[in-house]
Amino acid sequence: MIYLDNAATTYPKPACVIKAVNYAMNKFGANPGRAGHKMSIDAAEEIYLCRKTAAEFFNAPGPECVVFTLNCTHAINYVLKGLLKPGDHVVTSCLEHNAVMRPLQKMSQSGITFTSVKVFPGDNDATVNAFRSALTEKTKLIICTHASNVLGIRLPIERIAALGHIYGIPIAIDCAQSAGIIPVDMEDGKFDYLCIAGHKGLYGPMGTGMLITKDGSELDTIIEGGTGTASDSLDQPVTMPDRMESGTPNMSGIAGLRAGIGFVQRKGIQNIFNHEMSLINYLYKKLSGMKGIKLYTSEPKFPYFVPVLSFNVGDVSSEVIASKLNDRGISVRSGLHCAPSAHDYIGTLEQGAVRVCPSAFSNMNEINTLVLSLLRII
Amino acid sequence: MIMVNSITYAMKGRDILLNYGIKAYVERTPRNKTTVGCGYSIYVPERTDEAEKILTEMGIKVAGRRERDGIS
Repeated sequence: MIYLDNAATTYPKPACVIKAVNYAMNKFGANPGRAGHKMSIDAAEEIYLCRKTAAEFFNAPGPECVVFTLNCTHAINYVLKGLLKPGDHVVTSCLEHNAVMRPLQKMSQSGITFTSVKVFPGDNDATVNAFRSALTEKTKLIICTHASNVLGIRLPIERIAALGHIYGIPIAIDCAQSAGIIPVDMEDGKFDYLCIAGHKGLYGPMGTGMLITKDGSELDTIIEGGTGTASDSLDQPVTMPDRMESGTPNMSGIAGLRAGIGFVQRKGIQNIFNHEMSLINYLYKKLSGMKGIKLYTSEPKFPYFVPVLSFNVGDVSSEVIASKLNDRGISVRSGLHCAPSAHDYIGTLEQGAVRVCPSAFSNMNEINTLVLSLLRII
Repeated sequence: MIMVNSITYAMKGRDILLNYGIKAYVERTPRNKTTVGCGYSIYVPERTDEAEKILTEMGIKVAGRRERDGIS
């Protein structure tokens, strides 16, 4: 099987991740941060090490800034629902995933408004100006994807963050498609909230994600419960990360996530990016020369893209093409990719698109097989 | 024992103290009349005053001090 659906979740996982999950299941079987016995403390130590690793990887001030979540969507919901109040306005982009758009849509029923601004691929000045024009005195948050999960288009998040801070507006970044692929530096970028998938470019198990924030104590909670600390009080602790981590954590998943981040660190994030981008550039060139193939962006190049590419074959449904590729042992994603806004942007709401996303494990032979299969299908 | 607000801060504080050459261990805070809730502490058998000062300077909020049961 050739797996090119890595934008949804990476597969295979590195051997070190599988080993770390197995080890945690065997050795860290006690509830971390709840008791004083050795296995509970050992389990908490493993979780602490993952916080520390993640904080260093994203250049956050410290391990207490790292909140473990189920996934990136979970982290985004924490920010949106913890920060915004009726009457507040939010600025976002036209390329957002439903992880952002559905909570905003839901919150619009309680008096929160939002503006989706147009992104101009390859023209960061125009994109930043679009964000600037959308700001109002009621704007309380800018939230945007770092890179589109449909088109790979990368947003100039450092400049958008700088813009927001001129007006005292915090910025949250959806790093689902960027973490582990391109560097994300919290300190340098002055980002307030990083929402991260653990199971994509960081190669952790599914069911892992992170919210990284310098100070989450200003966020209202959407889940309350046991934290293993200050149990005499019925009030949710203010201290981070406990405030945002009620209930038993995904111990083995978090251990796997630490191993996944370690894998990326050893491989080198730049090497991973270069490898995946070379595959996508090669595919783009091949597809450009094929009759009937529709592409939706210019050739993906650094620094404007991450290695994700969507295409269609004439007016054929993307589902049909993906199904035919599946018959040939190739796994790609069709449809709307949970991002109707991005499809609206390129006019593919009806047809959807076929999305290809390689990983560190993908190779040129696999891309050539995909191209040959498409030639036969066409 | 130096009490802190979370096990994450206990471990971070321990690491800071170890960097200063101060022996430090993360332990569950035993319950007694003054500490009714669950929590974690950093057990610092020596140079405890210095340790508390370092922790405070490094941004670790100290929730209190208490003697470790049965020892110093």
